[in-house]
Amino acid sequence: MSAAGATSGSEAATVPHVELRRVTKRYGSVTAISDLSLKVDKGSFTALLGPSGCGKSTLLRMIAGLEAITAGQCFIDNIDVTDVPPAKRRIAMVFQSYALYPHMTVRQNIAFSLSVAGQSRKVQNERTLEVARILQLEPYLDRRPAELSGGQRQRVAIGRALVRKPEVFLFDEPLSNLDAKLRVQMRLELAKLHAELGTTMIYVTHDQTEAMTLADKIVVLDKGIISQVGSPLELYNTPANKFVAAFIGSPGMNFFGVDIAAMNGRTASVVLPGGRAAEVGITTAAGAGSAELGVRPEHLVIVDPNDPGAAFAGAISIIEHLGNSTILYVDTPAGQLIVEGEGNLDAKSGQAVGLRLNEGHARLFGETGAAL
Amino acid sequence: MSASVETGAEVFAPPRARRLARLRHLDLVGLVITVATVVGAALWAFPLYWGLVTTFKPENEVVRPEVQLWPEHFTFQNYVHVLLETKIGIWYVNSLITSAAVTILVIVTAAGAGYAISQLSFPGRRLFWWMILASFMVPIPALTVNHFILINQFGLINTLPGVVLPQLIAPVTVIIYKQFFDSVPKDFREAAMIDGANEFQLLFRIYLPMNWGITTALAIITFIAAWNLFLWPFVAINSEDKMNITVGITQVHDAFGVQYARDLAVAMVAALPVALVYLIFQRRVTQAIMLSAGIKG
Repeated sequence: MSAAGATSGSEAATVPHVELRRVTKRYGSVTAISDLSLKVDKGSFTALLGPSGCGKSTLLRMIAGLEAITAGQCFIDNIDVTDVPPAKRRIAMVFQSYALYPHMTVRQNIAFSLSVAGQSRKVQNERTLEVARILQLEPYLDRRPAELSGGQRQRVAIGRALVRKPEVFLFDEPLSNLDAKLRVQMRLELAKLHAELGTTMIYVTHDQTEAMTLADKIVVLDKGIISQVGSPLELYNTPANKFVAAFIGSPGMNFFGVDIAAMNGRTASVVLPGGRAAEVGITTAAGAGSAELGVRPEHLVIVDPNDPGAAFAGAISIIEHLGNSTILYVDTPAGQLIVEGEGNLDAKSGQAVGLRLNEGHARLFGETGAAL
Repeated sequence: MSASVETGAEVFAPPRARRLARLRHLDLVGLVITVATVVGAALWAFPLYWGLVTTFKPENEVVRPEVQLWPEHFTFQNYVHVLLETKIGIWYVNSLITSAAVTILVIVTAAGAGYAISQLSFPGRRLFWWMILASFMVPIPALTVNHFILINQFGLINTLPGVVLPQLIAPVTVIIYKQFFDSVPKDFREAAMIDGANEFQLLFRIYLPMNWGITTALAIITFIAAWNLFLWPFVAINSEDKMNITVGITQVHDAFGVQYARDLAVAMVAALPVALVYLIFQRRVTQAIMLSAGIKG
């Protein structure tokens, strides 16, 4: 699997295709990106993930050359492109709004970059047809964007990027204007396209499902700095800090305060709210004292309230039946905890239950929010 | 005008009952407004009608003291005279050349200036913008003397370029373009930049076509204004061969004394293209007038 790495993360053995070195972006007195370094490997599908305002789109726009870099450098294929105009970076970008030229047909939209580059009509036609065939746009070539559905417009936007045969594809939340069903379909098409082309793709999204399903590496951003870089499962199972733990996963991770009674090499004994004890895995001994324990909803199991193995006793407050799973909101001494049970779970609101903790999957976070 | 609606029941009702039903449905306020607007339109249109009818009268009928709504002796003589005995053909061509040149140049320069102020960042942009805003507060006729001196120094008096140049001052057009270009989402510009478009391609292949409606409207209104302009061409041109149609009318008057029917025939012929343009592009012209009126506040 290809890898994206940040200076904070593991260095990949391969040469990075896109690299940001100590990049800072300031708007007046506001710092959007602060001293950020990032390496994206050739052929990888890297997602820049984070909440609104975390700087992910700014980062993408700096790679595209649409946003000037205040300090630091940007490299594509080992060439410093910091001051190179967007058209000469051999990149293509798909915008959230698609930005299809409304007065042009699909054919003209796709061929626009070739046309401004002075390519002959023959080349324009050949390349447009080739792209249209890949994206199944042939029947719509003479329509204008207004006559297309959301999914078709999205495909034209991708086609416009594809026709340039770019080294790097940049996607700025390209699926956020689509309805839920179409989004899933387009997600699949994007994954297929990446598998077929093998081009480096950098994808900005605030939707962790999109990032998890599409990317082979995710860069989680928080307030202009990289919180963690890793594969989707690394981020899910071993989040580096509370921010990543809370951001990845739906429904979100449960957090509650615990007291650390003892640390013993790779495990820590903690006292849970309500007085029961638990043993959880740790990787560092720093931050002993009080800490927060993070448990994913599927790592809490509904048991009998009198079960001796139950970490908490509580009462079900709300039940959400999703078909393939059931989400329960359980009031416990640790506060309201979210529990994910089986789809056919038989439970009632107000019912007294016990919660067993899958200790092997619980994560301990110190006072700074970093994982212990 | 409001109209009574015939329901199925009324169709089969006796005639008297149907008439009563119609009366009940009659919108009196609507009727009064309609009559008032028709009267207003007739009052407005009457001078036009009067002018047109006069052109078909012999001169002796024109000078009669009584009101004569229709020619006693219908004649095309005035038009024949205007078309054969005057230089109206040359004036027409001159008007066409100068108006077309003014239109094309105003659109290109105003769109370029509007685009630069709206989309580019360069030193003095704000000052440039304020200068354009300030310039349309100066009435153009007040600059006639300055223009004359300037154009004379360029050696362009009594030339068609001399007629065209001062008409290229079109701050309102720049302001309208700037506002329209401001409202084009940034994504289009950025997408085109990534596609490799330069600023000229951005203007002529993205921004102008995306605002084609307003370009058409501005072009029409600029053409009409240039065609109708009298004062500057009158000052700038002294040779009959270089005159445009509006100035040419005065020559007919001077050469043949007060010949109302002939004067009016020239006026009718002169107004024809503008009237046609207006009739064909009515909606666009109204749009442009409303836009420039909105800006002028």
